[in-house]
Amino acid sequence: MNRINFVLAAAVVGAGAMLAVSAASAHGGATGVVKERMDQMKAMGESMKTLSRMLQGQAPYDAASVRREAGAIAARGGAALTDLFPEDTGDPPSEALPSIWREPQRFRRLADDLVAYAEALSAAADNPRPGPMASAPADMAAMMGGGGPQAMMGGAPGAMIGGDPAALATMPPQAAFQRLTDTCGACHDRYRAEKD
Amino acid sequence: MRRRLPVLALAAVAAGLAAVAGFGGGGAEPDRFPEGDAGRGAYLARMAGCIGCHTDAANGGKPLAGGAAIATRFGSFVPPNITQHRRDGIGAWSVADFARALRQGRSPEGAPYYPAFPYAMYTRLSDQDVADLWAAFRTVAPAEGGRSGNDLRFPFSVRQGLYLWRALYFEPERFVPDPTRSEAWNRGAYIVRGPGHCGACHTPRGVLGGRDQERFLAGGKDGPGGKTVPAITAAALRAEGWDAGSLAAALRSGLKPDGDVFGGGMGEVVREGTAWLTDADRQAIATFLLEPD
Repeated sequence: MNRINFVLAAAVVGAGAMLAVSAASAHGGATGVVKERMDQMKAMGESMKTLSRMLQGQAPYDAASVRREAGAIAARGGAALTDLFPEDTGDPPSEALPSIWREPQRFRRLADDLVAYAEALSAAADNPRPGPMASAPADMAAMMGGGGPQAMMGGAPGAMIGGDPAALATMPPQAAFQRLTDTCGACHDRYRAEKD
Repeated sequence: MRRRLPVLALAAVAAGLAAVAGFGGGGAEPDRFPEGDAGRGAYLARMAGCIGCHTDAANGGKPLAGGAAIATRFGSFVPPNITQHRRDGIGAWSVADFARALRQGRSPEGAPYYPAFPYAMYTRLSDQDVADLWAAFRTVAPAEGGRSGNDLRFPFSVRQGLYLWRALYFEPERFVPDPTRSEAWNRGAYIVRGPGHCGACHTPRGVLGGRDQERFLAGGKDGPGGKTVPAITAAALRAEGWDAGSLAAALRSGLKPDGDVFGGGMGEVVREGTAWLTDADRQAIATFLLEPD
């Protein structure tokens, strides 16, 4: 499933797999910049949890709280995030994968996306919110993310919504929140070792 | 070189097996398929990961025109072009060719596919599923390219070895519902064990890449890209605090109840796959995973 630079795959599969395993199992005991970034990630997770509960109807919706939590995430994204990943800080107990330092531009772009979508969510906080989502669209073009009116009305996955933060700012806050979630996921797919 | 000898012997055995007509085959496909529904097929194509895996979205590739390489300990697998292009894709195929590929893992010429293509799960697709998928694939615009091929380590680069693999690990079968279980449970079992092919990553594989069915969905340290894959057995999921509601919600959004997100490739599975499913299907997946027995 993962897009990976297969030139380095042999290293990942050999010693790298062992490294990832030991990194994952030795989660505690972080110090310095590794602990700092773990704490920042944890704080963003808490913000995501608070946002998720409000946007999924599990907690009362409060636009000011949405702006506060989205702002907290935006402040932790971009350079504030990438600066916490200096070279040679990938050893255990860090869960960072070496791909971070192999593709710094891509890593940075995702960190910047995080800011853009968090700010779009903040801007969308007062927009009307829809009820339960409509059913998924049903043709190949829509399923391939081709957009079009049917896909837009279906409104299900983030991939169909489009990624323009300015447009997201005018849409229901759920749209920007899904793009924000997708950005977290895209980064963790590629740059974080999973635990057992 | 010396340590390769047993491997060469294995390859020789495999080549011998290949000579035995029908060994490791998959049985015949029907002469006729039902009328396909392209809408239902498109939905199945999302569920089955066709679109996610065979599209190099990150590099702006055309839909289904070939995916990004998947690194494994066997080497690098490159999902090929499956658009309607007649030379580079599957535009010259018949529905029976398509069925044979999906449910038996064989090319129209009869060559075996590598099990990175999860035909060992797609074998559970019904005739109607195959017809629906084919109807959807017929609507895909032809695109060139996407045939760069795999880059595998020896001995896995010897395609004849796949006859041995098939003899050991592949059994063609259709999905059969369990009448003692609920409709949702059966739908979930079909998705998880069939088109959703969860076990392709979440069930550990042995030395030769066969899935260890005694450890169905038990996770492992050897997922795509050499990453750790968590267990998703009922016991493991419950130990992590999942219930049907939270699991179904996470399969839609990619976000876990604690504010963390899926990573390690599962984020992509959600974005390219489960996010597109109906709520009922996500609930069905969760129902089966949490109460498989």
